[in-house]
Amino acid sequence: MLSVLSYGRLVARAVLGGLSQADTRDYSLISASYGFGKDFRKGILKKGMCYGDDACFIAHNKNADVLGVADGVGGWRDYGVDPSQFSATLMRTCERLVKEGRFTPSSPVGILTSGYFELLQNKVPLLGSSTACIVVLDRRSHRLHTCNLGDSGFLVVRGGEVVHRSDEQQHYFNTPFQLSIAPPGAEGVVLSDSPEAADSSSFDVQLGDIILTATDGLFDNMPDYMILQELKKLKATNYDSVLQTAQSIAKQAHDLAYDPNYMSPFAQFACDNGLNVRGGKPDDITVLLSVVAEYTD
Amino acid sequence: MLTLMSMFYYICLRRRSRSGTRGEALTSRRAVESGQRAVLPVSVEVEQYAKEVLDFSSHYGSENSMSYTMWNLAGVPNVYPSSGDFTQTAVFRAYGKWWEQCASAPPPFRRTPKGFHSQDYIELGFEEPVYPTAVDVLETYYPGAIVQIMACSHNPFSQNPPTDVRWEVLWSGEPTKVLTPQARQFSPNIKHINFPTNLLRIEVNSSLLDYYTELDAVILRGVKERPMLARYKMPIIDINDLSDSEEELSDLGGPFRQGGEAKRTGNGYFDKLPYELIQLILSHLTLPDLCRLAQSCKLLHQHCCDPLQYTQLSLQPYWGRLTDVSLGHLQSRCTLLQRLNLSWIGNRGALTLTGFSSFMKACGQSLGSLELSCCHFLNEPCLEVISQTCPGLQELNLSSCDRLQPQAFTHISKLTRLRRLVLYRTKIEQTAILSVLTFCTELRHLNLGSCVRIDDYDVVASMLAARCYSLRSLDLWRCRNLTDRGLAELVTGCRMLEELDLGWCPTLQSSTGCFQHLARNLPRLRKLFLTANRTVCDSDVEELAASCPSLQHLDILGTRLVSPASLKKLLQACPRLLLLDLSFCSQIDMRVVQELSGLFPNVAIKKSFTQ
Repeated sequence: MLSVLSYGRLVARAVLGGLSQADTRDYSLISASYGFGKDFRKGILKKGMCYGDDACFIAHNKNADVLGVADGVGGWRDYGVDPSQFSATLMRTCERLVKEGRFTPSSPVGILTSGYFELLQNKVPLLGSSTACIVVLDRRSHRLHTCNLGDSGFLVVRGGEVVHRSDEQQHYFNTPFQLSIAPPGAEGVVLSDSPEAADSSSFDVQLGDIILTATDGLFDNMPDYMILQELKKLKATNYDSVLQTAQSIAKQAHDLAYDPNYMSPFAQFACDNGLNVRGGKPDDITVLLSVVAEYTD
Repeated sequence: MLTLMSMFYYICLRRRSRSGTRGEALTSRRAVESGQRAVLPVSVEVEQYAKEVLDFSSHYGSENSMSYTMWNLAGVPNVYPSSGDFTQTAVFRAYGKWWEQCASAPPPFRRTPKGFHSQDYIELGFEEPVYPTAVDVLETYYPGAIVQIMACSHNPFSQNPPTDVRWEVLWSGEPTKVLTPQARQFSPNIKHINFPTNLLRIEVNSSLLDYYTELDAVILRGVKERPMLARYKMPIIDINDLSDSEEELSDLGGPFRQGGEAKRTGNGYFDKLPYELIQLILSHLTLPDLCRLAQSCKLLHQHCCDPLQYTQLSLQPYWGRLTDVSLGHLQSRCTLLQRLNLSWIGNRGALTLTGFSSFMKACGQSLGSLELSCCHFLNEPCLEVISQTCPGLQELNLSSCDRLQPQAFTHISKLTRLRRLVLYRTKIEQTAILSVLTFCTELRHLNLGSCVRIDDYDVVASMLAARCYSLRSLDLWRCRNLTDRGLAELVTGCRMLEELDLGWCPTLQSSTGCFQHLARNLPRLRKLFLTANRTVCDSDVEELAASCPSLQHLDILGTRLVSPASLKKLLQACPRLLLLDLSFCSQIDMRVVQELSGLFPNVAIKKSFTQ
């Protein structure tokens, strides 16, 4: 009896060992981005990846793949400040931090904190605020490290089901947590959360997992089941098909946002908060879609 | 017998080595000739960006950031071919002649050679050692500052300690004034050298530029195989080598002294000249010339070794060749030394504690000024030696000695007669600076820029106010936490302040009235930097206009709250104004700057741009 047990233990160990051995391969993310600006301000040509007031980046380093989205808070337009400047500069700075290896993969909050610090180091007197979500895949350990401040977010989908997702952080309805630089004198008036307030999590990913990172423009207009339906169409793990799926998700969200009769998740949530709202929520939409694949040079 | 044997052996050895080199030269010539006929072996040119920034003398950015810091020069370009004032580039701390005009700037050293223009430098390590064929520097804003590019024989990434460190000039030139701020690729014709290198040094002089120069990336092109031309080249004997000529000189000293007296008239009428006149003539020579001249005849030897010729000694231009040995040779002549410049010297093992301390013991007695910027050989015992051997030291510059341990700075407090102290980019800590301020009460000029280890600048400011009444200039560039409380105490205590640099001090809030209080208390103010303080507003500028008529330099970069009207008042009220930096002030556009420049042509009004 005892020998059988110990034998079984040996077998189990061998199997587990074999599994963990199979996992010595490095993983990486195949990512594509797509999005829409709320209104078609095509006149302003912006550097980098910006959709309206949203901005995003995809960057790689020798041990990690990093994605980020940021949603510039539109209210600043009333003060004569272009809201996209803040989010775009934040994302560009984070991208540089990653490319130059000034971060540890296990701490995406660190990227956000130093990114925000660098904004203050800019000669340009930046103003504005933004939500932010950063996702890091550690290639070696296969762990996904994330941080999220505000109402942007991400989903990890495995086998057609959501296995991990970000938590939304709101002060109150439609007022997410946000990083901000306020004009002098208005520091107490403007909502400003520290980068450390971001919600962090770590999650082990497997080959074939799909990670969808997006701003609230997507999540407010598309419920999970619609997103999952679209993701089912993703069959191959190459850049083109990932981009195609990202496009179709973003397009669908965009169409729904301008449908006055559609009961969007945003409208649902508004009704829960005692506001009588129907229809989609016109907003900037940014979709970053990634698939976990084996790392190849 | 033994000596005879060894002499014979020595001669044989020399023969063999000489014939060896000759033979080698011949074969290489043959190789060149045959190479012209046959197909030359294809040597692949390697192109690489800098891998790492190893050392630099100053930068605009803060120590823990990547905006405007020298570390941006490593890696691929971030900005090029765009032009403009961007965070992603490498920017030095100063430009133009503004910094030299200030009272806090030390007077230039006599005998600085005409060809030496360098003010700042940066050293870059590359992955693979190559025989350089070209060096490209991508300059993205106000180009033209580079005056010298050098290559080093030492591999900075090797584990072995540096031996036989040689620096060779690849290119050198005069500082130039390029009229446009547009980006350019600077690709000078470089000299070919006979060793592979992966360590480049770029030296700059920004004094003719209209604004900060910005560098984006450096490309080193070269071949891994030694090119034919370099192999064929005759070795150049470096006659500038101080230590060699010094050695010869000490050998020759003996015979001259014995046989010289009899042939006194051999100098013609020259030695009829008064001693002082010859001394005056010699005072125009550079140091290597002086050393060479000392070898020519006994009379000139005597003149050239006169300690009065060595009251000021700037060895900075010879940083690449100076070692313990050369200091040892100079030691006997420098007994009356008053000002010594050892900046940039002694790195990679060239100077040691022994050499430095023996020189200081011999020559430190009357030393008043000591420049030791970027001297990474310095350690705690070195500073202890300085504090013991230089009782009368009035000026000490330790800027960018960023490897000097914090505890070393405690020795500075023993130099109680200090008047100028530069601690820019050092690791000095709170306790050390407080003890320095307690004992060095005669301080006139203090630079604490980018000292990241000081915890509470308010305490430092109130200590300054309590002890150093005669402070004229204070540099607190990028201090983290000075508040209105500290500033108020400072300006109440140090009423003689003429220069105040509060650039990038984000914790100062104009709403507390601290800048107006400052202006009212410092009527003698000539230079004020409030760079990137977002709270500077119209009432601050107007108070400056009302209270500080002798203002010469003002920097209020990056505020949204200053309007053209208040600036006009300032320009009218301050007739001596020379520099006004209004970059990134969002209310001031190019049109306003042009209008103001037209009205006040004597003021250099700066406004930089990003594309």
